[in-house]
Amino acid sequence: MTTRASALLALTSAAVAGLALAHSAPNSFVKLRFDTNSVRAEVLVPQSELSVATAAERTTDSFARYLQRHLSAETARGLAWTVEVKSVRDTTYLEHDYLSAEVVFTPPPGSPVREFVLVDDAVTHEVRNHTVLVLAQDAGEPRVLGVLQYPARKLAVNH
Amino acid sequence: MKLRATAMVFWAGLAIAGGAVHAKDTLCPRPSTGDGQSQAVITAIQALEKTLSAAQRASLERPFVRESAIRWSNLPVGIVPRDGLRLGDLDEKQNHAARRVAAAALSACGLKMLDDIRVADNVLKAVDERKIGWDGGNYYMSVLGMPSDRTPWMLQIGGHHIAYNFTFNGKRDGATPLFFGSEPIQFHAADLEYEPLVHQSSAMSNLARALAKRPEAKLSGTFTDVVKGVVVIPVPGKMPTGGTDTGFPQTYPTGSADRGILYSALAPADQALVRAAIESFASLPGAAITKTLVAKYESPAALADTYVGYSGQPDLSAEHSYVRVDGPQVWMELVVQKAVADASKLHYHALWRDKQSDYGGEIGH
Repeated sequence: MTTRASALLALTSAAVAGLALAHSAPNSFVKLRFDTNSVRAEVLVPQSELSVATAAERTTDSFARYLQRHLSAETARGLAWTVEVKSVRDTTYLEHDYLSAEVVFTPPPGSPVREFVLVDDAVTHEVRNHTVLVLAQDAGEPRVLGVLQYPARKLAVNH
Repeated sequence: MKLRATAMVFWAGLAIAGGAVHAKDTLCPRPSTGDGQSQAVITAIQALEKTLSAAQRASLERPFVRESAIRWSNLPVGIVPRDGLRLGDLDEKQNHAARRVAAAALSACGLKMLDDIRVADNVLKAVDERKIGWDGGNYYMSVLGMPSDRTPWMLQIGGHHIAYNFTFNGKRDGATPLFFGSEPIQFHAADLEYEPLVHQSSAMSNLARALAKRPEAKLSGTFTDVVKGVVVIPVPGKMPTGGTDTGFPQTYPTGSADRGILYSALAPADQALVRAAIESFASLPGAAITKTLVAKYESPAALADTYVGYSGQPDLSAEHSYVRVDGPQVWMELVVQKAVADASKLHYHALWRDKQSDYGGEIGH
């Protein structure tokens, strides 16, 4: 980065923090934390894009019920994990209104907790440019595990 | 509407001299100076370098590696800072020399689009006081690698709403990725009317209107942006990262499902609209950069395997309207979004990628 560009960024960073996604359509992300027996996920979905998706489905489901229809996990052999939406709250990120859900994925007995297939087509079932960024959160910076965009709805996780 | 002939706002008083004016580009109806010929571009770059300070030359010259090549964006420079020589910092002599580089690489249409989009940024700067980098001066030029007739190198010219990425001497023809957009779509400045994407949006809209007669051409879903654009990586509690072409190489649809209608299923008059849409995008670089690609895109075999589709309003009058050309190599898309500076208005994003030859085939994962 040039000195000038650095200075410009420093000067404007606070002002532009909210605009970074305002100029391009906001995307979703799923941040995974791996516990001993389960995987906890923070799922953030932008309300603007969610409203496009739910309008197309003509559904008035709650966000939790919507997620239960569009977010799941399974073993590599296709055995379903248990998915529980623990809580939902409104939040903002970069000046966009988001819905944030705390979701717990629990594998079938005997299945590894760090190796599974995440199945997620929330919003992407309708919004063709939308992406779901899947991150692993251990100590330190989150690590990108992959990106889902229509028609892809499955991501193999081996972390 | 009165459309201005040529913007001279950023290149004030410059007569295009020092290079023969070609009679006519193949794809662009008006002449350009260099036609995209590599030697003409190299000569113009060498002349520019002689006018620059050491620090400016260091800004202009960057290594031809993935990290540099993918550093283009559709986001304002206050959000995704660009590398390169900032055109807004140049004195008159340097400005003229930089102009000759652009004129050598671009068609007259491509040069005019660069001019007009820079004017649009100045219009936004006046109406939107948020410090996010709207500014016609915030456009940059970079030369990646050593300009040569033999070895691969790149010329990048870009800023908020345009990204020209031309690769010379690559393994493949290097016209792409080529992003362009316009906010506002139409505007008035200094007693002139502007519509930077008038040719491309008209060509895509003409195609979409024809496709609207064919239900199978309608793409499923909704489009709120281009599909194969830059990737912003949001991290809660932090500034986002990315915003550049970190998603390269892209994956593209395969098979026939949800790709629209095949070119071969269209009537001859509508087939002509597909070719016109392709040529409206491909006419932006100099003809020497694009003529081989267009010949490939429009070969009988390629057209036979080219899909076209649309979504939303065929006349592009509403948010989420979208048109796409999706061939064995070509990927061209245009989407209508809500404007950012004035949410009551609309703006365009458009993207041309080549499924095989983005970055001249020189950049990998």
